[in-house]
Amino acid sequence: MLTPALATLAVVAFWFLVFVGIHVFGLRSGRDNAQWLVRSYAASFAAMLASVVALSMWDDFGQMLLLSMLVAALTSACLFVLYVPAVYTILTSLSVATLVLLRRSGGRVPEASLYDRFASRRLMQQRLCVLLDAGHLVRDARGFSLTPRGRAVARAFAFVKRLWRLGPGG
Amino acid sequence: MKAVILATAMTIVLLVIVTLVLRFHPTPRRARQMMLSYFACLIGTALVWFATSADLGFLAQSLLIAPPWLDLSLMLFFFSAAFFGGVLQLYNLADRGLSLRILIDFAEADSRFIDIDWLIANYGGGKGLAWMYGKRIAGMLETNLVERKAEMIELTSKGARAAAVLFAVRRFLRLEPQS
Repeated sequence: MLTPALATLAVVAFWFLVFVGIHVFGLRSGRDNAQWLVRSYAASFAAMLASVVALSMWDDFGQMLLLSMLVAALTSACLFVLYVPAVYTILTSLSVATLVLLRRSGGRVPEASLYDRFASRRLMQQRLCVLLDAGHLVRDARGFSLTPRGRAVARAFAFVKRLWRLGPGG
Repeated sequence: MKAVILATAMTIVLLVIVTLVLRFHPTPRRARQMMLSYFACLIGTALVWFATSADLGFLAQSLLIAPPWLDLSLMLFFFSAAFFGGVLQLYNLADRGLSLRILIDFAEADSRFIDIDWLIANYGGGKGLAWMYGKRIAGMLETNLVERKAEMIELTSKGARAAAVLFAVRRFLRLEPQS
């Protein structure tokens, strides 16, 4: 029997699949990942909540609307926090990039050339550009410096590193 | 609602346990410690679910998820997502996040303005960018994805399978040359 909770989960699954489809389409089209990720998820999340409300009204689940909305929002958010790290691993992980480079190079590469490529000035420049675009850094004639937003992020993660005694890391 | 309440409560318990384990029983294999903490809490969460009433003694009928197996499944899913998507990701970012470490290096630097050369030499609290990549190589050697032969790094059979899957996914996303 289709209970309100099961019907809600079916709606969540449908809209999350729609989100994944739209996000992958955007990535294949060369759109900016971070913006496209947030926008496509926000749109599918809103559509999902609207669908849950409509389903509750239509199927007389109105008395359970609060629970349905909560379960839908939480389930969707959980799927999202599992999806995002997987995407970023594929897109930005240096270990993944190393494995792919090794595959493209016939399975073996001199260690020194891996360092030349992945511990390089170019890599640092790319990351600094990302941080500039994200508003964490600013640049002028004297060099790069932290914005208040960047400083807040740095302090928050420095706190976590101290709390868990993680050492320098990175 | 019981699923939401218990998953939230056990996530807080898990965070406390992980913090205590990492602070007072440090080992090089922190991710393994965290996984063990997660499994212990997962079992504890299931036991608490079975040991308590469906309404926890105060929930209204309209706040109960039916059937009961779905409530249990949702609780385990919420709790697992909080760990794998939350606690473990926070650890990964704090311990291995390249961009976050750059921000921390900026915040800890004596000078307010920094250039690329300084960052390459002093990345990771003074260890340098080569140290960062050495950590990645060491991780791949430890997990048997690659092996070191003389001055070469080679894919193992496990690494070749992983690389094939990752390459296919990146190619599908048009991040790799299509020819």
